[in-house]
Amino acid sequence: MKKRVFSLLLAVLTLLALSGCGAKPTAQTPAPAPEAPKVEKLRIALVLPATVDDLAWGQSMVEGLKAVQKTMGEDKVEVAISEKLGGAVDAGSAIRQYATQGYDIIFAHGSQYQSVLTEIIKDFPKTTFAYGTGFTTHPNVFAYDPQAQEGGYLLGMLAALMSKSGIVGIIGPMESGDAVKYNYGIQQGVIAGKAEVKSRIAYTGSFNDIVGAGNMAKTQMSAGADILTGSSQQAVGALRAVAETKNAYWLSTDMDQSGIAPDHVLAAQVYNWEKIVKKIIELRKAGTLGGQHLTLSLADGTIELKYNAKLADKIPAEAKAKIEQAKKDIISGKLKVELPKK
Amino acid sequence: MDGIINSEIMIIILAAGIRLATPYLLAALGEMFVQRSGVYNLGVEGIMMMGAFSGFYATLQLGSPLLGIAVSLVVGALMGLLMALVSVTFKAEQGISGIGLYMFGWGLSGLLFRLYVGGITSVEGLKAVKVPLLSSIPFLGPVLFDHNGLVYTAFLLVPVTGFILFKSSWGLNVRAVGNKPEAADTLGVSVVLIRYQCLIVGGMLAALAGAFLTIGQANMYADNITAGRGFIAIALVYFGRWSPWGILLGSLLFSLADSFQSMVQVLGINFPYELAVVLPYMVTIIALAISYGRVWAPAALGKPFQRGTRG
Repeated sequence: MKKRVFSLLLAVLTLLALSGCGAKPTAQTPAPAPEAPKVEKLRIALVLPATVDDLAWGQSMVEGLKAVQKTMGEDKVEVAISEKLGGAVDAGSAIRQYATQGYDIIFAHGSQYQSVLTEIIKDFPKTTFAYGTGFTTHPNVFAYDPQAQEGGYLLGMLAALMSKSGIVGIIGPMESGDAVKYNYGIQQGVIAGKAEVKSRIAYTGSFNDIVGAGNMAKTQMSAGADILTGSSQQAVGALRAVAETKNAYWLSTDMDQSGIAPDHVLAAQVYNWEKIVKKIIELRKAGTLGGQHLTLSLADGTIELKYNAKLADKIPAEAKAKIEQAKKDIISGKLKVELPKK
Repeated sequence: MDGIINSEIMIIILAAGIRLATPYLLAALGEMFVQRSGVYNLGVEGIMMMGAFSGFYATLQLGSPLLGIAVSLVVGALMGLLMALVSVTFKAEQGISGIGLYMFGWGLSGLLFRLYVGGITSVEGLKAVKVPLLSSIPFLGPVLFDHNGLVYTAFLLVPVTGFILFKSSWGLNVRAVGNKPEAADTLGVSVVLIRYQCLIVGGMLAALAGAFLTIGQANMYADNITAGRGFIAIALVYFGRWSPWGILLGSLLFSLADSFQSMVQVLGINFPYELAVVLPYMVTIIALAISYGRVWAPAALGKPFQRGTRG
């Protein structure tokens, strides 16, 4: 018996060590579909790795879908959401279930869903699937791909221009996908903003450990960082630690997080999912079920830099002008923000 | 690379290590009583989540972290009682019922959060309290005496639980029940009562550990906030050989490894981050694996007590 507990424990520990966070069993299953819709309704489903209210990746997409639903009419668009599907198996069964129930467009909102999708899509050639961050497409699969480095670059400049200590702290979840792009952008922006300012990256090894992110932020700040940023769901933990520290500021990504710390969020890189969703709907209406790689960028307004109005007077006009110029240069293609070479 | 590890950096690492050790220490000391009485509760993580949520929610509603702590203690006691009912009274397989309790705590805390809070909100949590005089000692002051009340509580509980376990008559009963329940039973010690008491105390301490995360550290709540800490706490009970001082050692080892790797990353010391983040786990797994073969454990651990039979 003791042996059994011990090996169970060792297994759990090893799992924790490997994943850095722990597995996630399914917490919710998709809502059953209403029988035979009377009106010709567009039915959209969304599968999320974290929660609908994570103040980050997931919530930004939910808000985009809700906005589309509002403009097109609640009677015209139906939106169903399944959350906390971090595991590929659970997510896969939810996606398949939605497809079986006849949903028109299914958003698998995470780069980790790419391989699950390739297995499912063949069985549902009339259904449109979309996932991201990614770039591999299929005839009925759209891949969306935020150029996180673009907004990251502008935020990095802002960080460098605003830092008094000369140290910008980045709190990453894991070295993968979007986080890497964003961090790369921040680092280049910091150098462009002020050459002598340093940026420091530390990873928590988890996407959802807000306590760990908070502690990492405290370590960053005690070692000198006064402007901090970070991505993924865990970032709100770091933001909260920043909000409890005088003269420390936060730059948010994915969505505007100034709501929970109005005095500490200087600016945000905001993803405008509404435009992407609309584009996918229009393409589908025109008969294109997939096959396109849709980027989110500053150029087409799907990525926006948003300043916190409450702290606007803290940012010097020349800093804003410098950032505005960089934004124009990125849009015109004069300035290219580098990406890590694979 | 901004320089070497100087005394200022050392203070930051050590102080953070003390702070990070708190939830492990609280939960593991509770689990120590549970296992000493012959039950192992793998549901610590679930109880922590319930404690984390209830402490957070009570603080949000009532405006006082102290009331939050009180509520989380009550919830923890109830979760412990549930485990006792299932594993002691109904004699269910303890490993399975513990995992069940974990899932139950995870699901329920997430559900209650969605129903009653609905989105990410922050609270005014516990404030750091500088211990007068002691906190001005150079080096040791900022490391040891500039934390919030739960940190002091956790560390004070080490000698207190040590005294209770080894010097009090109740502690003697607990150890007897965990080693030779049939002998304890013939001497008139109620095995069932002692195990109930231990599971309730263990539940309260696990919930306190959870509440520490939400109102003593993050000052907010999010789904799965414990992120595996409850399982680490159980491992630390084994690591610490069912003694408070051993658990203290294990908690500090794990947490200091954690705060050390954070600082290594922050300072940009050239070290792969993947290795850095698993360092605390690796250290614990290795220590556990090395120490396991030669370790003493409560003899009746995991065996439901049935009067008239021998384990």
